[in-house]
This record gives sequence, structure tokens and C-alpha cells, in this order.
Amino acid sequence: MYRFPTPSAAGLGQGPHWRKFSSTTLHVTGIALVAVSVGLLACTLLEVLTTGRDTAALALSTLLAGTAGAVLWYLTRPGTVGKRQIFATVAWTWVLTTGVGAVPYVLAGTFATGGAGFVEQVVNSVFESASGFSCTGSTVMADFDNAGRGLMMYRQLTQWYGGMGVVVLAVSVLPFLGVGGLDLISAEAPGPNSDRLTPRVSETARRLWIVYAGFTALAAVALFAADGFSSVYDAVAHAFTVASTGGFSVYPDSIGHYGSVAVETVVIVFMILGGASFTLHWRAVATRRLPHCHNSEFRAYLLLLGLCSAAVAALLWATGGLSPGSSLRAGVFNAVSLGTSTGFGNASGPGSAGDYVAWVAGAQLVLLLLMVVGGCTGSTAGGIKVMRMQVLAVVMVRSLRQAQAPRAVIPVRFGRDLITEGVVSQVAGFFLLHFLLVIGGLLVVTALGGELETSLGAVVSALGNMGPALGEAGPTANYADAFSQPARLSLALLMIIGRLEILPILLAVVPHVYRARALTRVLRR
Amino acid sequence: MTPLRGDGFLPGLRSRLGSGRPAVGLRRFGGLRRSRPLLAGPTEQAPKRIVSWGLASIVDAGLILGVVTMLCGLAGIGDDSVDAAVFSCVGAAGAALAAVAQRRVAPPERPGAGRVFAGIGLLWTALVLFGAVLYAGTGALARFDDALVESAAGFTTTAVTLLDVGEVSRTVLLFRSATSWVGGLMALLIGVVTLPVVLRSTALIGYTTGRRGLDLVPSAEVGTRRVLILYSGFTAACVVAYLACGLGVTDALVVGLGSASTGGFTGRVDSLAGFGSAVHAVAGVGMFLAGAGIFVVWWVVRGRVRPLWRSQELRTFLLLIAVATVAVGVHRDIGWGEAGFMAVSMMSTTGFAVADWTGWGPSATVVMLVAAGIGSMMGSPGGGMRVMRARLLMGSAGGELRRQLDPYALVLVRRDGETLSRRTLDRLGGHQIAYVVLVGVGALLLGISGVSMLGSVWGSVSAVSTVGPAMGEIGAFGQLGDLGRPARLALVPLMMGGRMSIPPLLAGVGLLLRTYQAAERRARYRMSRRSVSEESGNGDG
Repeated sequence: MYRFPTPSAAGLGQGPHWRKFSSTTLHVTGIALVAVSVGLLACTLLEVLTTGRDTAALALSTLLAGTAGAVLWYLTRPGTVGKRQIFATVAWTWVLTTGVGAVPYVLAGTFATGGAGFVEQVVNSVFESASGFSCTGSTVMADFDNAGRGLMMYRQLTQWYGGMGVVVLAVSVLPFLGVGGLDLISAEAPGPNSDRLTPRVSETARRLWIVYAGFTALAAVALFAADGFSSVYDAVAHAFTVASTGGFSVYPDSIGHYGSVAVETVVIVFMILGGASFTLHWRAVATRRLPHCHNSEFRAYLLLLGLCSAAVAALLWATGGLSPGSSLRAGVFNAVSLGTSTGFGNASGPGSAGDYVAWVAGAQLVLLLLMVVGGCTGSTAGGIKVMRMQVLAVVMVRSLRQAQAPRAVIPVRFGRDLITEGVVSQVAGFFLLHFLLVIGGLLVVTALGGELETSLGAVVSALGNMGPALGEAGPTANYADAFSQPARLSLALLMIIGRLEILPILLAVVPHVYRARALTRVLRR
Repeated sequence: MTPLRGDGFLPGLRSRLGSGRPAVGLRRFGGLRRSRPLLAGPTEQAPKRIVSWGLASIVDAGLILGVVTMLCGLAGIGDDSVDAAVFSCVGAAGAALAAVAQRRVAPPERPGAGRVFAGIGLLWTALVLFGAVLYAGTGALARFDDALVESAAGFTTTAVTLLDVGEVSRTVLLFRSATSWVGGLMALLIGVVTLPVVLRSTALIGYTTGRRGLDLVPSAEVGTRRVLILYSGFTAACVVAYLACGLGVTDALVVGLGSASTGGFTGRVDSLAGFGSAVHAVAGVGMFLAGAGIFVVWWVVRGRVRPLWRSQELRTFLLLIAVATVAVGVHRDIGWGEAGFMAVSMMSTTGFAVADWTGWGPSATVVMLVAAGIGSMMGSPGGGMRVMRARLLMGSAGGELRRQLDPYALVLVRRDGETLSRRTLDRLGGHQIAYVVLVGVGALLLGISGVSMLGSVWGSVSAVSTVGPAMGEIGAFGQLGDLGRPARLALVPLMMGGRMSIPPLLAGVGLLLRTYQAAERRARYRMSRRSVSEESGNGDG
């Protein structure tokens, strides 16, 4: 059990801490909401300066989120942080932030199209918010013209917040955090481990956000240049979602709207970098060298993307009736988009070259494989992660070798490092839980009326935070047409579970299960 | 447990035929061992024996297969005389050849796990090739690749077919079911006798049956005899029950062999859909017992209620069938009987169908997919991940969750009261990862071969689990006619990989590679010797 030392306990300030309610969850949620309200304020100003359609909704949302966040931040203080509290804090912070994040859509009536009732509007808003904060990129938005530029920018911004993580953001402004802070970051960060960039955890979180912001700015400049310096709004909006590997676009046909090879190339480069570890990026900036070349995970990641892109392009060329150039363009873009869990599309419409739902099944299966694997650890990407897949591959080979030589002691190596049996068990357990969640999610979503192929794609996509799925929820379709309202809510939950890498949400529930089992045992006696 | 040395695939049968055991004078020679018999006379020349686990197992299995093929041929007399004669002659010749070969080939004294796995791989390959040659040779299937697919489907107990059952002779129909019966027997002997007793390794947890295996298999010889008797008796009981339900002799034999082996072949295109409810009931009970495994049949025969009740795996198997039945049966347009039948069919990986279940709606088909993926119990001729392994993996996943909260927590995962080590569970996890990888690779192969997305995923799971029927192109009755040739051929390694539980497949490939490398080394050595001798000859000149 870890305790956050209060300022007064550290002798650095005197405040009425004895009056404050001790809750790390509410405290961190408060900070996260304040951060979201800052983004909302910027979007309100943008809305005022541009379309002006959703100004009132955005202003009210800013006020609500800001007030709620400030009240929670001020009235609470970080309490005792044990393992369970850490997982509960992260899980509840995400659930509450997603809930509050849905308010602007509800107030603006973004989903009030096609005679949707209030409940359906709320469901769609929660889905869109969850898809945003979890960097999934699935959408239920049918009419993109029904939202002002400010609200659309807010939608993009939710992915940017979710990319690095609202808890990491909160930790960066929380002073005097010890080991508990690193555990909080670990519980939220994608991947099995979190590197400390500096001795102080809050400084580590701050540096991660700095490199993230710098990366986003660079992406915005590159996109602005690639689009012929035509729209700052477009460049910034897409930079937010390419850096976070989220995949939301301000256009219904995503990157296919531009029809430009230059834009697609820039997006591919930044998607690949977004799917790599930000710790590596920081070290590259700090040391002015490229540590990526010596990182076995990054090399495997590039190899996987390269091989799958080539395989998809070859299959399209051989079976799709496309020219070599079109096959290469469509294959590489979509393979990288789904392999980095971004979810951008380059299809100009249903049945066009980039619409992978119309591709041969083999190519779709390669994309499904990429959706399962995802990006690198420490990146903003989702999926199981390349490093875990590498460990699983080594474990599989070891177990097959041990079947032939049962007494052999075969260590598991990752690059030059030995991996402990604890990590091996953890990775195998994670894979198994992921697999079980896919099966469970598929059962639930199909039971709620989803079509089989579409549901399979959507569940894998939601857990891996990809965005577009297969079948009726492909890159040129939206989820509202493919799934019922309860199915959409289930998928929203899966998105958050996938973003937090399963454990925090499950571990917020498991203690109760163990308690119930213990109670059952007592009753049996 | 009786200490065993030199036991092969069918030790009981081998000792009765008096082939003897190599006990002394073993020496390695080019990957095979040669020995002289223990009781060779002082004056007579000792016959040389080839000591190889793989070859010995192929010879033993060949004897059974030969006899079965001959019986199929004899049963077909009066229907198609050419087929009947060919099958009778080939079967008799095969059995005679195997009986002679048994005196020349012996299993090694202490076979290593690698060699046993490689031997298992070779055994299945030999069986499949034998069947393919017969199908192609008799003209039942015109092309050899189609014959290969049909044979692989039979021996791996996968209920998919390319044969037009209305056109083929009774002999071929019976032989097709007999291949699944022999395949089921081989799977049982490997899973229940060979791996637990011959290898005697706890590391093979994913393949063995644990302590409860000691009850049925106290030694390899006794175990083999009991398995043979139980399996044959169970098959006979199924056939008699079908006859009592009014089926004709041929139909009763075909469906009976298919039920006992979880093969799932019938003599009709629509599987069991055209039969009455009595046949469905018998098939349901037969499939359940076959999926529950030889141990359950043993306990039932011996009237032992306690082990039945205490078996975690059996309880889980029953629970899963019940859950699957309810999950499918709640749909309005599906009858409870059909739901229960299909749940048992999928869980036991038999593949019988009483209706076109592919049109039952997404959630029902997902339940079917999950049931087929989990599969039957340990000690069953069925396939799939196996109930026990799935249960252990669930326990392992729960333990990992617990360890996240408390890294020092001591989480025990038990199997019928036996605590398994973390290392063992990791190995089991590794095997299951390989299973998932095989399914993934299979789906990819099918997808590239032109099968639809759903058909690829379903078809791969179904083939690896040795079920057969699947959504998409294969369909509810396992007809492969709509699949292209590449897709049909892609099913062969999947069915065999699923049947052999992966390591034998890899060990077989490894052995072939090693043999090739050894041959290459030998050729290089000869070349270098030749060039040296030529150079020295030139020098002398």
C-alpha cells in the first residue's frame, strides 16, 4: 500500500487537508475534467469564430465540465493508493470522463437526425465519446454537416486527450507522487511496462506530454504543407487524431476526401510513428540519435507492417482487378492504418479501391491480423501489442520444444534480455483474457442483433481501438446502421476495456467476485 | 505403474504375435537402432531388426487397417464386385505385410519424446496416404488430391466429404466410415496409452489424462487391450442400437462407426436430417459418450458412480452442453431437441446434423463455433481445444488477475485434486497459443484460396477441431463440392494438425528436415571423398 504524502506532511505548505474528502479517484477525475474543459473552451472560441452553430452547447459543456472538475479537484485529496485503488482509479476516471465527454453532443443535438429519440441520442453520444477518448475512431455520426467546426474539433480533441491518457495528464500536474504515480501511469499506458524517463514520476508524465504535443504540432505542419497550405483547421484536426492514432476525421470519407497521394504519404508516416513508443521518440530528441534502430520491438513492428502491406497489395493486384499502383496505395494505406490502430480510410466511396470490405477475404484476414496485433508498447496505439506477440511467439516455440524435450530448461529472451517467468505468465494471461473478451463480446453483440461478420470485426476493432470494422461497419459505413443501441453500448464498454488493456476494468470487478466466492464458501460451511 | 521398456504403439497385440522386444545390444546407426533378439540361437544368424518407434507404430496400425479394409471389402460383396475384390485383396495383402513386418521392426527400448512425436506424425501421414491411394486407385475419386482430402477427413474424424454418397459402392461407403473409426482408435491409443505411459512425462500435461489414466491404463499392454475392447464394444453397441431403431445394416454400420469415432460420416447427403427421432436420440447418446471419452465409458461399464461425479472435466462438459443448448434453444424458430443435438454434436466434434443450422442466426452460430472450438474431453477420439485444457486455462487466467492485485499471491490451479505448477500451465498456454496460431494460419490460407471471410474463419476452426461442417461454403452437412481445389488442399494440414495436436506435426516436419539435412551432409561428404580420391589418383598419375 502506498500513500501520497500531502504537502503539509512534506512540510511544504499548510492547507485545510483534514477537511478534504480522501479519494484518489475523484481527485484524478477532477483534474481530467478540468483539462477537458480547457479543450472545450478552445473549441467554444473556435465555434464562435467560425460556424457559431453549437456555441451555446459548447459553452455550457465547458462550464459544466470545468465546474465539476474544479469542485472535485478542490474538495478531494489523493488518498491511500493500493493496487486495487490504482486500478479502480484509472477505470472510474475513464468511465466518468467518457460520460461527461458525451454532454456536448447531447446538448448540441448532434445525433438528433433521422428522428432519433432522446435515449438514442444519449447512447450515440456516449458511443462517440467512448470512441473518442479510447482513440478507437468508430463513429455513429451520419450527418457530418449537422455539427459546427468547434464541435468537430472537440471530437478530434477527445482522441488527442485519450491518446496519451487523461490519467497521465493528471499525474503530470500532481506533485509529490511516489511509486503509486508510476503504477497509475502503468495501469493506463498501453503495454506491459512503463519506463521512467526521469526520477520524478510527474516529470516523466510531463515529458511524455511534451513530446506528444511536439509530435502533434509537427504532424499539423506536415499535413498543412501536403494539402497545399489550404486549411489550418483540417491540418490541426487531423494532426490530433493521427498523433493519437485515433482515426476520427472531419469528413465522412476520412482521408479519402483529399484524394491526394502526398496527404496519404504524410499520414502513413505519422501513423507509423504514432504506433511506435513515445519513450523512444523522447530519447531520440534528447540524445539526437535514433534508438529505434536498436529496438527489437520497433524492428518487428516495421517488419510486420511491411510484410502485411506487401501481402495485401499483392492480393489486391492478383485478385482485385486493380492496377499495381492502386493496389499498392490502397494496400499500404489500409494495412498501416489498421496496423497502427488508427482507422483512417482512403476510400472515396463504397466499392472504391480503398474500401477493404469489398476486398478478397484473404486481404481482409491480413487486416484482421493487424487489428489484433496493434502497435508498439508505450505508443498511443491499441491491440495486443507487438512486444507481447513477440513474447508469445517465443513462449509457443519454447513450449513446442519442451514437448519434445520435456526436461529442457529453455529461457525466454527478448532481444538480448532474459524475460522472467512472471512476465511470461502475465503476457500469456493477457492474451488469454483478450481472446476470452473477443469471444464474450462476440456472443453479446450477436445476441443483441449484430450480423456475424460485422460483429466479429466490430468486437476485434473495439478491443483493439481500431475504428472501422468489417461487413456492414466498414470504412465507408457507420455503426448506427449496423448495431442496435444495446450493442453500441456494449461496444463502447469494450473500447474502454481495450484502451485500458483489460485489467483495470476487470480488476475493478474481480475483488467483488472473490468476495462473493469467499462468502459462498462460508455459507457452505 | 508397471515399468515399461520397449513398448510400442500396440504392445498387447505385438506380444501376442510374438515379435519379441529388443533388449540388448542396441547401437545407434544412422538414426535407426539395430539389435539382435534376446533368444537367438548360438548357431543361427541373428535376424536384423529395424528399431524405430515410427515404423513400428505404422506397422501395428497397418495391421488393424488391413483387417478393417478387408472386412469392408467382404461386406461389399454383392453390391460392387470390383470394389469389393480390390478392397478385400488390398486389405488382406496389407494385413499380411504388416504381420510379416512386425517381426522385422521393433520399437526402441526408451523412445524419446521427439521421436515419438515424429513417429505420430509419420503414422498419420502413412494412414492418410494409404486411404488416398485406395480412393484414387478404385476410382471412387478421380483425382489424387481429392482422394487425399477425403482420406485426411476420414482418418482425422472430420465430417467433410467430396464423395457423392448416392453413387459410390457400399464398400467405399463403409471404408470411408472405417477410416474415421481407425482414426479414432489411433487418437485414443496415442492420447490414452502412448503419451502418458510410454513417455511417462508430466510435462506433457496438455496431452495426457493425469492420474485418472492409471485406473484404465495400469500398463501399456493392459491399457491397449482395454481400449481396444471398450472402443470395439462401444461401436458394436451403437450399431446394434441403430439396427434396433430400424436402420438398414449398411446405414447402421456407417452411422455407428461415425458415432463411436466422432467421425460424423453418414450414408446420406443431409447427414441425419432424414432419419427419425429415435435415431437422433441414439446418435445423441452415442456422440455424448464418445465426446466424454473412454474413461467415462470405462466408469459406466464398471458401474463406478463416484469417479463420474467427481470428474471436474465431465461436470464442465455437461455444463457447457447445457449452456450451449439453452443459448441456442432460446431462439424462437429452433426446437430444443435440435438445439441439444447440435450442441452435443459440436462439443463432441462429431459433426452430425439434423437441420441446416447455418441459418439459425448469428448468436446461435457463434455458440456453435465456441462449442466446436472447445471440443471434447480428454481421452476422447474427438478434437478441439479439449474441455480440461480450456478449464485449466480459465483457471490460469483467473490466477493472473489475482496476481495483478497481489503479486505474491499463491494461486493454485488444480485438476481433479492434482495441483499443477506454474511452469506446466505456461507450457499448456504455449500449446494453446500454437492452436490459435494454427487456426489463424488456416483461416488465412482459406481466405487466400478464395473462401469467404466467414467461411475461412469457421472452416479453419472446424477443420482444426476436426468437426467438419461450417458456415459459408462448407455448409451444415460438410460438402466440399463448392470449395476450390486450393481451399480443399488447405484443409488437409489443418485437419491433420488439429488431429495430432500440433507438436507431432512440427516434429514430423523437423524429422523430415533433419533427414534431408543428413542426406545432404552425406552427399557432400561422398562428393568431398570422391574429389579427394580423384585428386590423389591424379597425383599418383
